[in-house]
Amino acid sequence: MTLIEAVDVNQKYGDRFVLKNVNLRIDQSEVFALIGPTGAGKTTFLRILDLIDRPYSGEIYFNGLNITATKKEQLNARRRMSYVQQKPIVFNMSVYDNIACGLIWRHKKLGEVRKKTEEVLELVGMVDYMKRNAKTLSGGEMQRVAIARALITEPQLLFLDEPTANMDPVSTAKIEKVLEGILQEHRISVIMATHDMSQGQRLAGKVGVMINGELLQVGTPGNIFNQPHNREVAEFVGTENILNGEVVSKDENMTLIKVGDKVINAVSDYQVGEKVLVLIRPENIVFALQRETSSARNNFKGKVNRIDTTGPLVRIEVDCGFPLLGVVTKQAAQELNISIGKEIYASFKATAIHTLKRWA
Amino acid sequence: MIEIWHGFLKAIELIVTLNPEVLEITGRSLLISASSCIIATFICLPLGSLIHLNNFKGKRALINLIQTFYSIPTVAVGLLVFLLFSRAGPLGFMNLLFTPTIMVVGQVILISPIILGLVIAALSGIDRAVPETAIATGANNFQAATLVIREARYAIYSAIIMGFGRAISEVGLALMVGGNIRGYTRIITTAISLETSKGDIELSIALGIILIVLALVINIVLNRLQQR
Amino acid sequence: MINRLGKVLSLALILITLVTFVIGCAKTERPSPPTEPKVTPQAPQYPIHSATTRFRIATTTSLYDTGLWYYLEPMFEEYASVEMDIVYAGTGIALEYGRCGDVDAVVVHSRVDEDKFIAEGYGINRRYFAYNFFLIAGPETDPTAIKGLAAIDAFKKIAEEGIKNPDIVKFVSRGDQSGTHVKEQGVWQKAGYKYEDIQKSGKWYVEAGKGMEPCLLMASEQQAYILTDISTFTAYKGKLSLVSLVEAEEPTFLNVYAVMAINPDKVPTTKIDVANKFINWLISPEVQNILGTYGKAEFGKPLFRPTSDGSCQMEGCPTVEEYSKTVP
Repeated sequence: MTLIEAVDVNQKYGDRFVLKNVNLRIDQSEVFALIGPTGAGKTTFLRILDLIDRPYSGEIYFNGLNITATKKEQLNARRRMSYVQQKPIVFNMSVYDNIACGLIWRHKKLGEVRKKTEEVLELVGMVDYMKRNAKTLSGGEMQRVAIARALITEPQLLFLDEPTANMDPVSTAKIEKVLEGILQEHRISVIMATHDMSQGQRLAGKVGVMINGELLQVGTPGNIFNQPHNREVAEFVGTENILNGEVVSKDENMTLIKVGDKVINAVSDYQVGEKVLVLIRPENIVFALQRETSSARNNFKGKVNRIDTTGPLVRIEVDCGFPLLGVVTKQAAQELNISIGKEIYASFKATAIHTLKRWA
Repeated sequence: MIEIWHGFLKAIELIVTLNPEVLEITGRSLLISASSCIIATFICLPLGSLIHLNNFKGKRALINLIQTFYSIPTVAVGLLVFLLFSRAGPLGFMNLLFTPTIMVVGQVILISPIILGLVIAALSGIDRAVPETAIATGANNFQAATLVIREARYAIYSAIIMGFGRAISEVGLALMVGGNIRGYTRIITTAISLETSKGDIELSIALGIILIVLALVINIVLNRLQQR
Repeated sequence: MINRLGKVLSLALILITLVTFVIGCAKTERPSPPTEPKVTPQAPQYPIHSATTRFRIATTTSLYDTGLWYYLEPMFEEYASVEMDIVYAGTGIALEYGRCGDVDAVVVHSRVDEDKFIAEGYGINRRYFAYNFFLIAGPETDPTAIKGLAAIDAFKKIAEEGIKNPDIVKFVSRGDQSGTHVKEQGVWQKAGYKYEDIQKSGKWYVEAGKGMEPCLLMASEQQAYILTDISTFTAYKGKLSLVSLVEAEEPTFLNVYAVMAINPDKVPTTKIDVANKFINWLISPEVQNILGTYGKAEFGKPLFRPTSDGSCQMEGCPTVEEYSKTVP
């Protein structure tokens, strides 16, 4: 059942359109992650959905009612939604008071307020901090208070605007754990904006990619990451190998695509003669010192051009006639005895390739 | 020089022995300035919230205007009030000239720009996200405004105390509309101006000491508040 | 530790302030007047206002600063059962208060202005209740040697010497159109000068624009000559390094104090009955006696002379009617 729907939403700042024809539908109990680079318009869109800002054009429907229309409808709808800001906002009072605010403003009885506040404090793991002044907390702790405050009013829809931006990995992990717990327990719908696509992948069942004010693709995390609809989405979700190719031959099982002076085996719907983009995720590249016979249809010999160590992983760029970027663990890199200029074999499955139509 | 020293000693004596005239004048000063401060706060706090939390055409110009009136000369306000409330003036029927009441009215007019402007500045120091969060959490406009005021409370206390400071140390207005009537509208500042012009320095010095001590207290309290 | 001390100190100061506040608000006693025979209350002939009625008069700064009103005020308040408020300003402003109806009676000492005030219809029931003389005070060194001269001659000499030696000979003028200032202008005129010429003739002539005692203080600082009434001068002599040089009891220096009620037909908001009561009280024999002795104890000689003792017999003195006829 549709909980909230945006229809043809446009937003303008000055002369610039920051949201262009955005359409989205979220159902009850759905967890949706809106991912995209900073400045894509995610916060702008969330604020319109939560009725904090008015769109330049377009409509929002909540539970079937057009809420962009009347003020009264807006107030009712807003009371069923909660919003957690990117920067943790707490009031200059105790943690308990911060959270109890929402219920006190709704004139709930003190006994009920106490009970609910303690429950939700438990949920976010902040019971010990109850009496502390919220301004003395760390960023992560403040954000948990903000989440608690958002949940205590038992909203139907929870907005999270980049909840772990600017946080260290430990705090981020804590918050994600809290969110996971909440999502499992309650049937609350969530729309979260994040520029961290792996976070989106972890927490959400449905992902949307917004780039430059346009919602380019909506689907499951698997869809988005492995079958991006266009180049921009592909680039954003980390498909680092995007090669220009042309279909040269095709049979019922396999499509052969010419890339540079090499031929790649892929599974694709495009016809012979069509210009395509060949997309391969770096994780799908396997490196070996010898040409190995494997189920991988594509096996190329190349020279190591570049080696970058990022955290526990090593990114290797190889020139096989076309540039190929792969990723291995540090240990694997050691075992391969990788060095610049070394000759190495890169292989990848035909099914790991995603093709898109190429216009240029 | 010796005269001044003698005057100083006598002044201390007046204070320590709780001379009734000194006490009466001091008490009246505090009463009048405190009253005007409280009344001005009651007016300017809601007004300041309204101005800050709403966007309207000319808001910037209005705030500029308020700030211009921070240092309006006290005699200018005094003249205005005098002309209004003189029996020959439009509000003369209220019979308020040369009474402590009119001094309170005048001081309210005098310090309102300061309190109003500083309240708006105090509220501006609170992130926009705070009232937005409040409203998103279900507060109505009044509840959200109260929250912002609460968040800015220390800066607002400072604003009020500054208003009080200006009220208690002004002389031009009090002299013009109060008349410095002994036992009725004589306050510290007007008494000092009269006694000094007469060359009667003991009472002047005594009152001056009290005024400085008051200013000191105000300053200390202000300091502690601004540190929070 | 220091934080705690700071807190305690602030609290202590605030408490002291509050205590003073509370004490100050409680009714405090008036400083009691010097021991003199009490005025026997007259049988009430006018409707008596309750003690909360406020009766307001305007008086000139020079009269105010002699302290006479601190002395008379509690007496009249008890006599008439009113609360008396006294505002003070230069003659011009005091009369303006009267025109606007902000006061119920005025007490001034400038016949020219008084006549105008009465002609305009604002002032009624004028009675002269006291008089004294002006004097020229100056430095003990008396560089122009005017001591003992007649009034007009003294003025002439000051002007001549002042124009020649402005650094040594100076004259401080009220410069505020007060009674004293008007009198001063009159003397210059009698001495043959046009006042505008005096004003422009050099820096020996200082127009202060202030009240009597600030001007006296200024003259004392600058060791200048100054025209002043004897009452103010006597009251402040102790603070000044000036001496009285020309005390001519002549019409030129005559200074008569008058009280006028504000005409209720012209300014309906004034309290005419209390004003009339006040006037009659001032010219009553008991109060006239008190006036004649005021200042004797502190300063050695009385500051005022009552009109009722008939001692004022020169040109410009009020007639018997003008000073003793009670107001109906």
